[in-house]
Amino acid sequence: MTMDMSRYLGLFISEATEHLESLGRDLVQLEREGTATVVDSMFRHAHSVKGMASSMGFESIAILAHRVEDLVDAVRQDRARLDRDVVDLLLTAADTMLAQVRAVAENQQPDEASALLTQLGNRVTAMTGKGLATTRVAKVTALKPAGTEAGAAGTAQAGGGAASSSQVAGAPASTASTTGSAAEGVKSADAGASPGSARSPGVVGLAGATVDMGAQGLPLPPDLLAPPGTSSDTASTSGAPSGAAAAVAAAMGLVAPASTDLGDGLKAAASAPVPEAGPVRGASPPRAEPEVRGAMQRWAVRLRIAPTCQVPGVRAFLVHKRLTNLGTLVDLRPALEELKAGRIPDGYIQLELETTAGDTGIHASLRNVAEVEVVSVKPAVAAPAPAVAAPAASEAARASPDATARTVRVRTELLDYFLDTVGELMLATARLREVGKVLPENARPALEEGVYRLHTLVKDLHDKVMTARMTPLSLITDRLPRAARDIARRKEREVDLVITGAEIELDRAILDELADPLMHLLRNCIDHGLESPEERIAAKKGPRGRVLVAVKRARDRVIIEIEDDGRGMDPGKLKSAAVARGLLSVETAARMTDREAFLLSCLPGVSTAKDITDISGRGVGMDAVKRVVENVGGTLEIDSEKGRGTRFTLRLPLTVAVVHLLLVEVGEEVFGLPIAKVVGATEADGEALSRSRETALLPHGNSLLPVHSLDTLVGVPAPPRQGARPFVVMDADSGRVALAVDRLLGQEEVVLKPLSRPLDLLPGLSGVTILGSGRPVFILDVPRLLSA
Amino acid sequence: MRHVIFRVEKERYGLPLSAVREVVVPPARFTRVPRAPSAITGVMNLRGRVVTVVELRQLLNLPDSPTPPARVVLLDRGRRDLGLLVTDVDGIEAVERVSTAPGKLTPAIRGVARLGGLGVTVLDPEGLDAAVVALFTHSK
Repeated sequence: MTMDMSRYLGLFISEATEHLESLGRDLVQLEREGTATVVDSMFRHAHSVKGMASSMGFESIAILAHRVEDLVDAVRQDRARLDRDVVDLLLTAADTMLAQVRAVAENQQPDEASALLTQLGNRVTAMTGKGLATTRVAKVTALKPAGTEAGAAGTAQAGGGAASSSQVAGAPASTASTTGSAAEGVKSADAGASPGSARSPGVVGLAGATVDMGAQGLPLPPDLLAPPGTSSDTASTSGAPSGAAAAVAAAMGLVAPASTDLGDGLKAAASAPVPEAGPVRGASPPRAEPEVRGAMQRWAVRLRIAPTCQVPGVRAFLVHKRLTNLGTLVDLRPALEELKAGRIPDGYIQLELETTAGDTGIHASLRNVAEVEVVSVKPAVAAPAPAVAAPAASEAARASPDATARTVRVRTELLDYFLDTVGELMLATARLREVGKVLPENARPALEEGVYRLHTLVKDLHDKVMTARMTPLSLITDRLPRAARDIARRKEREVDLVITGAEIELDRAILDELADPLMHLLRNCIDHGLESPEERIAAKKGPRGRVLVAVKRARDRVIIEIEDDGRGMDPGKLKSAAVARGLLSVETAARMTDREAFLLSCLPGVSTAKDITDISGRGVGMDAVKRVVENVGGTLEIDSEKGRGTRFTLRLPLTVAVVHLLLVEVGEEVFGLPIAKVVGATEADGEALSRSRETALLPHGNSLLPVHSLDTLVGVPAPPRQGARPFVVMDADSGRVALAVDRLLGQEEVVLKPLSRPLDLLPGLSGVTILGSGRPVFILDVPRLLSA
Repeated sequence: MRHVIFRVEKERYGLPLSAVREVVVPPARFTRVPRAPSAITGVMNLRGRVVTVVELRQLLNLPDSPTPPARVVLLDRGRRDLGLLVTDVDGIEAVERVSTAPGKLTPAIRGVARLGGLGVTVLDPEGLDAAVVALFTHSK
């Protein structure tokens, strides 16, 4: 393509990735409970990817997506065809496409994946008993008009295909398809079975409209790609892709080159010898024929979906699809997204439609949609907008007007930047306040008032930025079912994964950190927690294990529980492993509660050797899980009962940016200790403490805690002290410890800054902040300081 | 190419102007970095950013000096906030023809050049960066 596509590349990558990830999720869900909606959704995703890829000129992705679509379609026709191998194959294909999209993102040639294509093709052939026609996805520039078509439908599709870049005309196997380059039997099964059977006039409409809009240089919303999913007419499947691709192309702004190419394509298609084209064209909706638009009339339609309807979303969607086939939907309430989700207050749908079909046409098109009652069809006041602008505006409006008005996509880096800047604003405000303190008394009030006002504004802005950063946990939990399936298959386990509360939101930064730990915990549950089906039956459990991921919100914390019903952990074994590695004395081990013992699994080297090989290369072990959770200000707890299962509980703050610190002074330096880990503080005479092998012991409650001097821990010189000094009691990996400090400076709420290179290479630091005095202060990760 | 010329004691050094963001006066005191190698002077607050400051003398293994460093040369290395503690900054000069430096080869040093009849050691920004990271990774 001649045009600079790079502008659309980012959009393509993010959207294609989203679709492919959804496809993977659908697959896993499908295997568990195959419902028609899931299959349809899968089809839609594959389909969208195909359209986008071909409009971007990424043929290999488009072809693969296309084959996937074929296979999904075969499954749609008979869900009994779905077995594990098919799911595996489709998952592999989804992964391959993701890899291809990544390759494209890195400016590399995506892999052709020919072996996989063959596999997919063979599958389809085996399922449907019909051979695949050659699949090709033509580029816009390489387009040739389809010469002879078998049946009117072909014409329509050729028009669509030419308009878009993905050529997917139906070429019934029985007919001689001539100009091989353009005619492709995509839905060969489908098309062959029903050549020209009421070949979805909508396809014509779509394609025509797209060409039209494209030529005018007006973008189209991607919503146009009315997925054939829920409809009962199989005919539409083969045609819609072309429209979809074109719509995507247009929506992605690919109109500039398209305007010429599309024009040519249309002309070519129109001028090609098209026998039998007449009747269908005549019956086809107006937008295929621009000159007909003048006779268009606007209708206000009111519909009601029966309250007894079990699938209002599906019905509403079908209505939407039928009506868009007739003409242009100008106003739709509720918005399409709401409709699809089945959120229809009292079942009423209102819309305005521009069409030439007339009220009889509208009634006719809705006649055989079950459970939908046409309340009224009245002429509406036509839009005063000029003819050229009207379609574009109306198209935009149709794409769920509310949703587009309310949300925008923002790059996460931009959100990070906002947060950084607001954090710095807060620090700057604190600095101003400090400066004000040295001013003479009479000059202060004005400044203080200004600073106060500034502080309020900045705080408010900070809250808003934090709100914008809140992201539902589903962003990471959505990946778990797929992972669970893969792990379970590899380990020959049977597992049901139940996820609840994934809609709960957390700060994006925490969420990003949590992805690996959650995956590791899941792997732990399935790999080590759950027994094999035989063992489970022997233990009088059901053969299928169950892993529950439950997310809850408790005041200012989010609690994530990951629980299995497997064999549980043995505290005795963990203790002896820790003792054997010299991480724990026998006495301490004997005093440990079971709960404390379970946490020993988070010490490096305590988990079994098998563990280590299993996760090597991923860099995440239980110790890393614990560290990540604590670094974002959370805590990890482990509960387990032998034979009954294990539960990991993560308690996380909603946001990382603000942390509570206990500030302590050592020598001339100030350090921050996370309050979350501080148990308490006492004062004692360091010299008077009893010692064991040179380590001082601080009496605390009814136990003795090992004392560490913070100055030696952090390597900061401090003069020796006589007499009483403060000690901070903190939680560390293997029990509590006491830190000897010089002075307690008090608590402070600070904005945490992540450590930039090279500081992040140092062990024992979890972040840095700047105090109101302008002084940078490090926040210590005490367990790491002690172990490193 | 234009270089920022600065001194460590009597020796003159140069860094490409494009690699230097700005030159600032060091604060009265640095915040010490726990467990950092001794060449790390500490961190300072530069308009809300936390900048790690390295003593160039130590980074290049030069002998101890009596005069306290008086300037921080801030490197422009993306989000990596790194500053070099030097004795003083002389100015900006055009440096051409860099020849091999005497002594042990280190990635931080690109070579030597003649400037106004005197020698100047030309530093390599990437090499400096790598040398700082190496300080941290080796000390573990």
